[in-house]
This record gives sequence, C-alpha cells and structure tokens, in this order.
Amino acid sequence: MSGLKLRNVKKSFGSVHVIKGVDLDIEDKQFVVFVGPSGCGKSTLLRMIAGLEQISSGDLFIGDKRMNDVDPAQRGIAMVFQSYALYPHMTVRENMGFALRFAGAPKEEIATRVAEAARILELGALLDRKPGQLSGGQRQRVAIGRAIVRHPDVFLFDEPLSNLDAELRVHMRIEIARLHKELNTTIIYVTHDQVEAMTLADKIVVLRDGVIEQAGSPLDLYDDPDNLFVAGFIGSPKMNLLAGTAEAGGIRLADFPEQLVPSPVAVPAGTAVTVGIRPEHFDPTGSAALETTVEIIEHLGGETYAYARGAGSSLLTLATDNNRTLKTGERYQARFNPASLLVFGQDGKRLR
Amino acid sequence: MTLALVRRGIVYLLLSIAAFVSIFPFYWMVVGASNTSADIIRGKTSLGSALLTNATAFFTQVDAVRIFWNSGVIAVVATVLTLAISSLAGYGFEMFRSRVRERIFGFLLLLLSVPFAAMMVPLFVMFSQAKLVNTFAAVILPTVASIFIIFYFRQTTKAFPTELRDAAKIDGLKEWQIFLFVYLPVMRSTYAAATIIVFMANWNNYLWPLVVLQTAENKTITLILSGLTAAYTPDYGLILFGTVLATLPTILIFFLLQRRFVEGMLGAVK
Repeated sequence: MSGLKLRNVKKSFGSVHVIKGVDLDIEDKQFVVFVGPSGCGKSTLLRMIAGLEQISSGDLFIGDKRMNDVDPAQRGIAMVFQSYALYPHMTVRENMGFALRFAGAPKEEIATRVAEAARILELGALLDRKPGQLSGGQRQRVAIGRAIVRHPDVFLFDEPLSNLDAELRVHMRIEIARLHKELNTTIIYVTHDQVEAMTLADKIVVLRDGVIEQAGSPLDLYDDPDNLFVAGFIGSPKMNLLAGTAEAGGIRLADFPEQLVPSPVAVPAGTAVTVGIRPEHFDPTGSAALETTVEIIEHLGGETYAYARGAGSSLLTLATDNNRTLKTGERYQARFNPASLLVFGQDGKRLR
Repeated sequence: MTLALVRRGIVYLLLSIAAFVSIFPFYWMVVGASNTSADIIRGKTSLGSALLTNATAFFTQVDAVRIFWNSGVIAVVATVLTLAISSLAGYGFEMFRSRVRERIFGFLLLLLSVPFAAMMVPLFVMFSQAKLVNTFAAVILPTVASIFIIFYFRQTTKAFPTELRDAAKIDGLKEWQIFLFVYLPVMRSTYAAATIIVFMANWNNYLWPLVVLQTAENKTITLILSGLTAAYTPDYGLILFGTVLATLPTILIFFLLQRRFVEGMLGAVK
C-alpha cells in the first residue's frame, strides 16, 4: 500500500548535480538501506523523499500519489535525524506529541499514542524529562518514538546511529531491526556503515556520486556485485582486489607473476582485468594457491586474519581458518577455489 | 619567585584601578543623592543626611510618575518591537539561502558606520512630514530595525541546529510556527541578552528624543535630568537623586535576566 517509486529523480544546487537520475522501487514494508561513501548523495536523496529538499526533476510516488510538491507533513512520513533534533525546551512527552498537537488531534488520542510509543521503546520512566537530561541512546529512542507516534507509512532514518558509541550502536541496531518487525512498515535508512546495511536491510541501495551503483538484497550484493565499487564497498574485511592480465590459460596477476590463476569466466587474452577475492574465500582445501609471506596477524579469537604479501606491493587480507599457530615472516600458501574469484574489466564492470 | 610576585602585584594593581574607575561614579552618584549640592561641590564622598530633602525637591519639581511612564512606555515598546523585527530579520538572513543575501547583509553592516547625527535632520524632516513629531512613535520607530541586533541574531542563529527546523517541518509546522514555537524558546538566552542591550539603549536614549519630543508632558527621564543641570544654579543633590531613580529599571532588568544574559553572550544553544 505504501511502497515508493522514484522515477529519474534529479537534484542540482545551481550547476552542481548531486543526484543524477535515480530510478528505484521500494516495496511496502521493505527495509531499504541507502549506503555509500560520504558525499554520494544518500542523505540528499532521503531529504528529497522527506520533502526537505525540492526535487529538481523526475517523479516521486509514495503509494500511488505523486508527492513532488506535497508538504513534508502530508507525505505520510516520519524522520529520525542523526543529531536526534529533539526540541530542547520540551519534555519527552511533549516532543513526542508535538506533531499530533499541531495536526489538531484530541488530547486523549495524543496521550494514548505517546503511551504506546513509550511502551514499545521502554521510555515510560523518561516521559517528563527534557532531552538535556537524557543520554545519547535515550535521546535516539525518543527521536524514534516521536516518529512512531505519527503512525507514518514510511520511516526515514538519516544515519541515526552515527553519534552513538560502538556498543550502543550494536544495541540500537538490534532495536531497530526488532522495531521493523513490530511496526511492520516501510523503512528507508541511510548509513555509511556497510555492516549496518548488511545486517538491517531487505534491500541495499549502493550510491556513488549521485548514481545507484547497484540495488539488491544484502547477500546478492555480497555474492554477486555488479562492479568494482560495490565489490569493494560491501563486505568486511574488504575484498582483495588484484590487477592482472588475461592469458590463454588464465589470469596472470601483477603481484604474483610466477603463476597463472585459472579464470572462472572466459576473458580474451591480453585484456587488463582486476581480480577480486574475499578474505573469507581463502580456504586450505582450495585447488589454486598464491605463495605469500605473512606480515601481520590479527587474532580475533573466532577467526585469525593474516595480512600477507606476494612479490608485488599489494597486501592481501586472508582468513586462515583460524590458524592460531601462524607467525609473522612465515611463508604461507593462500589456497582458494578459482570459482570464488570475481573478475572485473577495465571500466570496473563485472565480467560474467 | 619574586618576579612572579611582582607580576601578580601589577595585575592586581591594574585590576583595582579598573574596578575603581568603574565603581566610583556609581558610588559617588548614590552618596551624592544623600548630600546637599554644596557638600557635593566640596567633594564630600561619604553618606549625608539630605536624602529626604533631595527626594522632596525632586518630586515637587518633576512630575515623576508621568516622566517614568513616558520613558517606560518608550523603552518597553521599542524593546519588544526591536526584538521582534530584528530577530525575524536575523533568522531570515541565516535560514534562507539566496544569491544576494551576503551582499545585502554586507550593505547593512556598512550602514552601521553612518553616525546617527548624520541621519538626524533627514529623519526629523520625514517625521514632521508624517506629522509624528512630538509623539512616542517618532522616538520608537527609528530604533526598531536595529542593524546591530539583526547582526547579533544572525550570528547566534548560526548555532541553531538546522535539523530542528527540518524536524519541525516534518511535524507539520509552517515557517512562522517554527519561528514562534521552536526558534524563539530555544533562543531565549539570546533574546534575554538582546533585551538588556536594547532596553538600556532606549531607556538611556538622549539625542533623538531631545530633537523630536518637544512638550514637557512627553519628555523622558534623560531629557528631564539634563534639563535640571541646565538651571542657573543646578541642585546636584536633586539631580543625583533623580539619576539614582533613573538607573533602577536597567539594574532591575539586568538582575532579572543576568543568568540568561551571560548564556546569551556565550551563544548557548543547549
């Protein structure tokens, strides 16, 4: 009922083009995450959906209604800001009821809805405090409560966890996931943190320079990236990217010139390519191998990562199947299955 | 060791001189209000016994209720209007992006360098054509669009979180409602500081009221006090008593708003 459609949506500030034509379908009740490096236009796109920025051209539909020129308050959206944006002179209760009061809702209804939101977010004890007396996590919950109270069709979150410390961020991430289940509404969430994106999203939209690089489910993007940018952006630790040249029997990597790596796709000989392999795809039982020297070891307990080098300059990140006996300076045969390699052309596009 | 002591001594000495220079006129005014004119001229700096005499003389010579009413109405109305208009302008200048914004603002700041004396004659001509000479409106109107206060509000508005405005828009508030229900309460320290500055300026305003207020029943306290010094043998005891009275409202306002004044000067948005 309240999906969103963006059709060739653009935004420019004078001669600066920030959003360069975005087409996107968001289904009802979907949790969509806009992710990308800073300055990629993800927040601007969210603000355009909210109505805080004018849409320069293109169409925005929420449900079936074109919303380009509709007032933010009439779009059926609610937004949670990075800085929380709570009204400092009002109590938590007043903050949450403010929008309803302005919409002319009866007092009893405001009280019921505020109480409901307070129950969902466990804010009951804080209702008569002012934002200045709350911790960061509590303020963020109030900000979410203020959004819930309005019973919006679409929730917009603009980097809501960026101002929280690491532990609280993980906690709030789980809260938000739980909230999505409980409220069962469409959520659009902006973050630059790809872990947040992977863990929360039904659908991730990766943006760069005002263009969608790829949109799809988290695992689709992880397993099957369309281009180098998405491959490098999604996944932690990052995918290893190695330059090479296609030859008759495979690909010769610049940093490992003595061996030919079997290519999972057919590439004309002489083509310059970039080969991607994720750290976790190194596997002692793999059929191919790269000869490396270990430089740094990271013991995480459950996994051990080695940073190792071949003949060339690039440092590979390797998952070692939790090999705790590994030492720096040791020779290490990084085995892998050639089928797990991803090959990208010179323009950054995936070769399939 | 000794060097530090000397340095410290010098600092204290300088501070003491500064404190003396600030406080002595005030002390002298209060003490003077209780002395006879002759004692004051002789340079007496301790409390005297003529307070009641001075008070009686002041209240018989001056229609105090009327004068304070005039000064009060002018200062209060001018303060309210100045804050309303200048804070709106400051808000507008900071919140709305426009190509010509900085140019207009720069031009306004340039106008700050025009001395009031240079505008006095044209202003007087304007007000006399509008048939407003010798009215309170003539005193108040030229002060309400204060460039300095606009500048002050614009600078402090930079600390106002724009996300609050966004949140209010999503909550369904129109721009004027955002100003009234979000901006104004959040910026109350700024308003308090501006209130003190503007109230004092208007209460103490002398030159323009002198030009534009012409009949005795419209005059303000500053005009009356300066009128008393113009007498053939000025009664300084009486004048200083009136001065003490004239100082009271500004002191009162300052102490009422003191805490907010300090916050406002620090530009606190919390």
